[in-house]
Amino acid sequence: MNAPLKRWLCLGCGFSYDESLGLPEHGLAPGTRWADVPDDWVCPDCGTPKSQFEMVEMGYAEGGADLARIA
Amino acid sequence: MPKSFVLRANERGHDVIYSDGSASSYVAGHPGSYIARDSSFNFHQYQSGRPGFGTVRVFGDEVFNGAGCGYNMHPHHNFIICAFVLEGELTHINTAGRGTVDQLRQGDYYVFSAGSGGKHCELSISPENMNAIYLWLMPGQLYLPPSYHRAHFDIRTRRNRIAQLVGDADGALPVSQDLRVSRLVTDRAGRFTYTPRTPEHGVYVFVAEGGATVNDVALARRDSLGISGVEALAIEAPDSSDIFFVETAMLDDARIRAWEKAHGADLLD
Ligand SMILES: [Zn+2]
Repeated sequence: MNAPLKRWLCLGCGFSYDESLGLPEHGLAPGTRWADVPDDWVCPDCGTPKSQFEMVEMGYAEGGADLARIA
Repeated sequence: MPKSFVLRANERGHDVIYSDGSASSYVAGHPGSYIARDSSFNFHQYQSGRPGFGTVRVFGDEVFNGAGCGYNMHPHHNFIICAFVLEGELTHINTAGRGTVDQLRQGDYYVFSAGSGGKHCELSISPENMNAIYLWLMPGQLYLPPSYHRAHFDIRTRRNRIAQLVGDADGALPVSQDLRVSRLVTDRAGRFTYTPRTPEHGVYVFVAEGGATVNDVALARRDSLGISGVEALAIEAPDSSDIFFVETAMLDDARIRAWEKAHGADLLD
């Protein structure tokens, strides 16, 4: 339940999904776990399937989290 | 502990993507254009191979066939995308910074760090086909400021030595990753040594032209070798060879580890 929130990267284009930020513009509320993202969900930028995202342990560049919040 | 794999030219993923039909918004140049892509690692349709090597996720050997062929304007984030033009001309329109229209010819190469977001379009507008090597790298951080750098590798003046194109050497294009790309073009047979920063770094060696023997492994045109855990690589190259070296930090990557385990590919030398 308190597992750290994770980040995932689309291997088709590099779009990132951040569990803590969700994708409010695309109907995923902040805090939505990757496991709870529908299996038929695809990358909003390139259409790559969910299975072709890779979990990444990477921090944001300065100011990056604010930009990701509105992606 | 040394680990290595050999990938022969014909063992790569092979995709042909036409400029009409389902990929028409992706591929430019209808009618009659198509992109032929040989992927060393899993990419798009090709998903039955190795997921990557260190920070490298894509190593594509691509040919744009037919006038006007290429990729229409499309978005990227985060990945660091490099292209090295081997033949033909690549017109590259990129939104990074204030935007760039670049024309790359044989020996030219670019490093596009997509970071917080950028779009690009790549076209072959000359009558001849365009062949380039594409390299996609995991960045060091997410949402870096987008950047675009380009340079020229002068095949005439930099022959018969290993020259660094991307990395921390003088004159190399910078990259926000623990990575170096070097190139060796020969016009006479010779022996060379490639020394990675540390033995923990991996080196992916790709023979673009000619051949090479690397630590006693014979490689033909478009064959490649990934190796880590060695102090140095001993290379024997015949005349007229063109060899790329991609040196990368070896991330502890769950996808790559799982693939190696499932395929018995975690071989010791
Ligand atoms: Zn994508």
